[in-house]
Amino acid sequence: MSPVQRLAVPLAAVGLAVLVGLAAFALVQPAAPRTAAEQAHQLAAGLRCPDCEALSVAESRTAAAAAIRAEIDGQLAAGRTPDEVRQSFVGRYGEWILLEPADALAWWLPAVALAAGIAALGAWLLVGRAAPPGAEPPGPVSESDRRRARDEAEALDA
Amino acid sequence: MPTLRAWRWLAIPVLVVPVGWLLFTGLGRDPRDIASPLIGEPMPAFAGTSLEGQPLSSAELAGTPLVINFWAGWCLPACADEHPVLLDAAERHVGALQLVGVLYQDTPESARGFLARYGDGGWPTLLDGGGEVAVDYGVTGPPETFFVDADGIVRARHIGPLTQQVMDDQLAALGLAS
Repeated sequence: MSPVQRLAVPLAAVGLAVLVGLAAFALVQPAAPRTAAEQAHQLAAGLRCPDCEALSVAESRTAAAAAIRAEIDGQLAAGRTPDEVRQSFVGRYGEWILLEPADALAWWLPAVALAAGIAALGAWLLVGRAAPPGAEPPGPVSESDRRRARDEAEALDA
Repeated sequence: MPTLRAWRWLAIPVLVVPVGWLLFTGLGRDPRDIASPLIGEPMPAFAGTSLEGQPLSSAELAGTPLVINFWAGWCLPACADEHPVLLDAAERHVGALQLVGVLYQDTPESARGFLARYGDGGWPTLLDGGGEVAVDYGVTGPPETFFVDADGIVRARHIGPLTQQVMDDQLAALGLAS
């Protein structure tokens, strides 16, 4: 097998992994909201509650979360786009307020790292475990070796 | 393939160095120390009523360095711990520094109880019943303090109880000698 042929299987595995990842990513994308209330809820679900642990603004009952929900409603009613509303909170709290990272790199880096890992493992399994370079394949056993093995076996039995 | 075998040895530093670097830099960071996007920006405006029932707005505070302290009567011991630092700053920089409190998710009665117990420095506290001012400042919980210069630009934010050292450093940065 040429090196290209040897890499074909891991490369195919990487391609498959990326496709599965993309399909899963497409499936978990929320559907587009229909009403203003749905839009407000979707925005609130994507913002971190500032004064609680691991809850979104949509889920939390704190006064800060209520204030943010009220402001989302107000900004949407004033005709601002969901992205503008989101950015208005990022401008005050920083990107920390977003439950989902805005930087696309954060989405792609784990997928790329996983694909690279699968490729490295595949290459190692297919190529790295082959016989080390320069190693002689075991040839036919010579008559003298055969005799020596027999003698030593007999010596052990004796 | 000798080249691939050689690469295998390279894989160890390639994996260990970034993970080690992440741990080394990441573990030394305070997860609560989030840079405020407001630094270098004009202070968000506010207008409302003070704990004493007087009108209070950001417009009337312009012109001198300002310390905005988000606090609550239930914020113990942190707010009580930093209170002497605020009282000291108010006393030492009369006329050169303004302080304003913003009551964070608390009732006026609870706030008055706190001031009666730990000392009332005389600076006003804005009632923020709806929490809008706290949202405008990106506050995550009391105590949290913003340092604003005489031009109304936010210069620093401190999360957690103020210490004398933090207060002295931040006031020095605003041009007030300790």
